[in-house]
Amino acid sequence: MLTLNTLIIASLGYAVLLFTIAFWAERRAQAGRIGWLRSPFVYTLSISVYCTGWTFYGAVGSAARNGFEFVTIYLGPTLVFIGWWWLLRKLLRVGRAQRITSIADLISSRYGKSTTLAVLVTLLAVIGSTPYIALQLQSITLSFSVFNSGSSAELTAFWVAAGLAAFTILFGTRNVDANERHHGVVTAIAIEAIVKLLALLSVGIFVVWGIGGGPAEIFAKAPPEMLRGENIFSARWVTLTMLSAMAILTLPRMFQVIVVENAEERHLATASWAFPGYLLLMSLFVLPIAIAGNAMLPEGSNPDLYVLSLPLSQGQNNLALIAFLGGFSSATSMVIVAAIALSTMVSNHIIMPLWLRFANVTTQTSGDVRTILLRSRRLSIAAILGLGYLYFRLTGGSGALASIGLIAFAGSAQIIPSLLGGLFWRGATRTGALFGLVAGFAIWAYTLFLPSFEGSFILSESLIEIGPFGIDFLKPEALFGLGGYDPLVHSLFWSMTFNIVLFIFGSLFSTPRPLERIQSSQFVDVFRLDKSTGSYLVSRSATSEDLFTLAQRILGTDPAQRLFTEMAQQQGKPRGLPDATDNLVQTLERELAGSVGAASAHAMVSQIAGGGTVSVDELMKIADETAQILEYSQQLENQSHRLENTAQELRAANAQLTEMGAQKDAFLSQVSHELRTPMTSIRSFSEILRDTDNLAQDDAKRFLGIIQEESERLTRLLDEILDLSHLESGRGQMEIESISLQEAIQKSLSATGALIEGAGVKVEMQLPESPIMVQANFDRLVQVFINLISNAVKYGRGEDPILDIEIGLSRGMAEVSLIDNGPGIAPVDRKKVFEKFTRLSEANLAGSAGLGLPISREIMRNLDGDLNLIHSRNGAIFVVTVPLAHA
Amino acid sequence: MNSTDLATSTTKKRKLRDSALLLPLFGAFLLVSPLVTMFTGTVSILGLPLIYVYIFGVWLGLVILARFLARRLDKG
Repeated sequence: MLTLNTLIIASLGYAVLLFTIAFWAERRAQAGRIGWLRSPFVYTLSISVYCTGWTFYGAVGSAARNGFEFVTIYLGPTLVFIGWWWLLRKLLRVGRAQRITSIADLISSRYGKSTTLAVLVTLLAVIGSTPYIALQLQSITLSFSVFNSGSSAELTAFWVAAGLAAFTILFGTRNVDANERHHGVVTAIAIEAIVKLLALLSVGIFVVWGIGGGPAEIFAKAPPEMLRGENIFSARWVTLTMLSAMAILTLPRMFQVIVVENAEERHLATASWAFPGYLLLMSLFVLPIAIAGNAMLPEGSNPDLYVLSLPLSQGQNNLALIAFLGGFSSATSMVIVAAIALSTMVSNHIIMPLWLRFANVTTQTSGDVRTILLRSRRLSIAAILGLGYLYFRLTGGSGALASIGLIAFAGSAQIIPSLLGGLFWRGATRTGALFGLVAGFAIWAYTLFLPSFEGSFILSESLIEIGPFGIDFLKPEALFGLGGYDPLVHSLFWSMTFNIVLFIFGSLFSTPRPLERIQSSQFVDVFRLDKSTGSYLVSRSATSEDLFTLAQRILGTDPAQRLFTEMAQQQGKPRGLPDATDNLVQTLERELAGSVGAASAHAMVSQIAGGGTVSVDELMKIADETAQILEYSQQLENQSHRLENTAQELRAANAQLTEMGAQKDAFLSQVSHELRTPMTSIRSFSEILRDTDNLAQDDAKRFLGIIQEESERLTRLLDEILDLSHLESGRGQMEIESISLQEAIQKSLSATGALIEGAGVKVEMQLPESPIMVQANFDRLVQVFINLISNAVKYGRGEDPILDIEIGLSRGMAEVSLIDNGPGIAPVDRKKVFEKFTRLSEANLAGSAGLGLPISREIMRNLDGDLNLIHSRNGAIFVVTVPLAHA
Repeated sequence: MNSTDLATSTTKKRKLRDSALLLPLFGAFLLVSPLVTMFTGTVSILGLPLIYVYIFGVWLGLVILARFLARRLDKG
């Protein structure tokens, strides 16, 4: 038999070892040699703080009573961790971005840095954790009692609590920044994780192969109902799995190790499979140990202590000592981390706000805030452990380990709706979270927590038995008449129902404050925001001196100096304090949040920066600015659209001008060509006349005739060009009067009579007898007809040349059609005939100066009429349109 | 890297992420559904009850799958 002294020496030695390791790790980290201290495996091992004394001793107890059911407590966390990509990764990212210090801080920060919520969650966490800490003390004292029934449980518990408080204060409150890693603590916990795993595996291997004779023989001893029926799949099975999955996220100590102590997000990837693997190993031998204990130990042995009593019963003192240290590790690591997490919450969310409000000092004039913060944290640790000890003394260590643990789980699970809603639902509001949390916790307390005292605390035995005032309907363990269920399932069902429903409806029927809106998008869209977009524009009036003083008081002189120098450099200032920009205020608030929590940091900075909160007006202003920018960009877009149109018009105009320029060039070259031909012959004949001495009289006369003819042609050409330019510029003023159309046609026919007869063209006409009076200039109209008739005679020759002249009337206009039966004009040339100097494809208008038709058209247009060429299969049809005279 | 490679790697990444989301649901289906009761028979494998082999086997399988996914997700 081990003596009590051996045990005390062993546990003290183990404690000294832990202190040494923690001290060494802390020194190493301070020297900057962090190395494996922050490896993913240390992270994973630190998460195993989930496995407490309850797990170490209680799982076997649970298995001995309820068979396979114990495994659900590990399956829940396994499912959460293998689904890390979906939930834990987001939780970690938010925790890092917002410098979250605890689960209460997370909830408070998400719902607009609400102090009320922070205080509420802190209080509930303390209420839920106190029995849990007491449970660890109980498991240690129980394990002592196995070795020596004479030892005083109270005394053991007291010294354990005191020792743990000392360790936690020493290594858990070194830095004021709760967001910084506690390297010493984490390393010590990782060592404890290894110790407890090895201890449980050793006992398991000893039981199975040492005394049990192999797994087959062990399981053969198992009572058949242990692995069947209600113990395998039931409402309780599902509830427990869900409960443990929720608890791993919300238990203050789990949040502390998973989110706050996390050094790198990547470590989560390793933990996602390594932690489930650790849990698998921890539970592998639980069932065999339970079966062996049931079979081998005397009737009435406490199943919660099989892990210790089995080796002891076989005289394996050393193995029993290892098992004892394993249990000791499990219990102490839980208490240490829970105390750190809870003390951070209590000091940040309860003591600091109270101090800020009632100390009657402003942060500018007060003493060193750091000292107050550290002192409050140390006091909180002592108080929390004291509370745990008190609870242990009052309840006298009653109840099975597992049931107390599950009650704490169910309490912390009430945070889940607000947590998940906050991470994934933008519309979740502070009011909803407040309603849900209060309702959930109230029902949890009424239906599970208070009845667990069995009538010794607040709720009397008779009330639990028959309901308040005998109202059956309100019986704590059969609320609203829902009886016959396991108390845990019953409590969780009602508390979660009210929690979720009130959370959702509270959120739907309340309007979030501006800061809540900002925080909600910071949480929900954490993967979509980069670091720089986190800031919001708020006009604040803070001097950088004030901010620096605040930072010094909370962060300490050196870190504050470092922060401000860094900020100044970012602003491009080589020396001195940075400007008090929004960015500086934001960064400082976030840094301070790492020490005192979001709500307190916000309050402190607001106190200095004045107003600090975002008012609706300011948000409106931001919205206005955005709207203005939008409008401006729209204007720009319109303008560029207009410019685009103008540019297109200009391009079209330019193309037109280029074309016109080319036409002009062509016109000039045509004109010079036309003028050159007569000039050449005049020059050559006059040269002959001048240089030839004996020129015959006849020849001389002929030559002079040619010269005169060519001169006339030249004059005519020049007249025509002049005429055309007059007509085109609209300067050719014509006297317009009522004239007879038939008369004009007759006049032109008689003028071209010789030409017509010479060509043998037969003219056919059907003219109305009564004169058709038109508005025109007689001479000009005759000129047009002469031109058209002579063209038809010259070029429109067919076999039996016929010129048909017809008159029609339409819409106040007279239409004179001149139709020949010649070869007609090729479609490609139809447009060209009215262009100046155009020579149509050889035969048709060869030799023409080509000004006749353009001039005629100009004349007709000046007379408000027109001249057109109409398509026809053979022959050309020119139509002259001229306005009728008003009757 | 050309566009086809990019498209393939994007699809691959998405499939990885989808798998990471499905794994816990798959695990819940195997361990927290009436499916579990199908393995409560008296059959034993190498002296171990079927249910014991089933639960710890599925558990180990989930750990291995999670490790496989985590390594790939971490790289991407």
